[in-house]
Amino acid sequence: MEIEVISFGKIAEFIPQQKISLSNVSNTDELKVYLEKDFPALAGIKYKLALNKNIVQSTLNLNNNDVIAIMPPFSGG
Amino acid sequence: MDLERYSRQLVLEGFGETAQQKLLNAKVLVIGAGGLGCPALQYLVASGVGCVGIVDDDTISRSNLHRQILYATSDIGKLKARTAAEKLAALNPDVEITPYPIWLEQENILELFARYDFILDGTDNFESRYLINDACVLLKKPLIFAAVSGYEGQLAVFNLTDNQQQCSNYRDLFPIPPTAGEIPNCEENGVLGVLPGIIGTMAAAEIIKLITGKGKPLINKLLHYNLLTQEQYVLQISQAQNYTIAQSEDEFLKMNYHNNCALTEAYSEIDISQMQALKEIESTILIDVRERYEVPQLDPQIFSKVPMSELEHFLETDIAAEHIIFLCQHGIRSVAAAERLSEKYGHTKKIYSLKGGIAKWRNHF
Repeated sequence: MEIEVISFGKIAEFIPQQKISLSNVSNTDELKVYLEKDFPALAGIKYKLALNKNIVQSTLNLNNNDVIAIMPPFSGG
Repeated sequence: MDLERYSRQLVLEGFGETAQQKLLNAKVLVIGAGGLGCPALQYLVASGVGCVGIVDDDTISRSNLHRQILYATSDIGKLKARTAAEKLAALNPDVEITPYPIWLEQENILELFARYDFILDGTDNFESRYLINDACVLLKKPLIFAAVSGYEGQLAVFNLTDNQQQCSNYRDLFPIPPTAGEIPNCEENGVLGVLPGIIGTMAAAEIIKLITGKGKPLINKLLHYNLLTQEQYVLQISQAQNYTIAQSEDEFLKMNYHNNCALTEAYSEIDISQMQALKEIESTILIDVRERYEVPQLDPQIFSKVPMSELEHFLETDIAAEHIIFLCQHGIRSVAAAERLSEKYGHTKKIYSLKGGIAKWRNHF
């Protein structure tokens, strides 16, 4: 399965926009574990996932060509 | 109604005097008269929003001027809320403008918010953002959330129910605040002046849409804006179940907004054993801020000497070390030095002060 990953803010500095091929990852919870292992800096900051532009509140199954957005909170004014 | 002043929006298709009257009847509170607040205030006041409150306890500094466009160089040192109110009153005398040069706290926020219809959060720290969010949830007050970081911005409208019966708030996105240093602020990360100009203006547009009932405001949506590409990415927010939020004034007053926020002290006070442990780390520098004549004299191989009288000069140089420990005779001047240094480095370095100073830990020196 191939998904597209888009990230914002500070996270974009270490996870550039890319397509990733996944095996043994079937839902967003497993994807979090996978991403935090591949990009250890992600484990150290708060972030929220969106699957196909919908905020993920509990784990959702992933399908081929899904788009995952990863976003940190912003506080600046 | 000043028909000439508002003539260009009065002639808009589907706007007219009805929409203008809604603006004139509306009460909007803008929190933070900074990069986001300045342009938002200008457009809200210019458009004829009847009552505008401005909350900001800060004064204008030189480094604000590239983005906080209500202020002139000659305003440096003046209170933002009062200065903004003066300029805005000159822009549109129809509008009742109230400056609040105060720091928002649990004790004063509910009473203040109750006087307004819409709240715009244009603050610059997570402590305020969570406080404002929770107060708005408790009061069921529509909240326009605007924030920037680097070249990107976020904008959302919370606490309004959409046609799917969803009603979200900031905690549906981020249930708990980031810890200190987790997310860089504008001081650390930098911001291009025009970015909060765009996001602040978009926030004002959302408020005008909400007041007049025009268009589709970003209710339960989070808009991400990237200045470098002009790309927007809009996400649909649904309600989360995994956080606690105050349901009553009593609960609200008992919440703790000071812990783990970016606003918490950027330095910490440590004891001698913590200092000894940090000393072993290669990227640690120990700085004695006592004047040169003070005793006991410490080993200059281990302790760098930067008397308080020379601190400002020292701050002009860049410190390579990651951990910076200040000490003095009683641990008072070292706190002042740590504070001063944290103004420069924020959370990008670990800054410490030896609590009690050399006098308390005499046997260790």
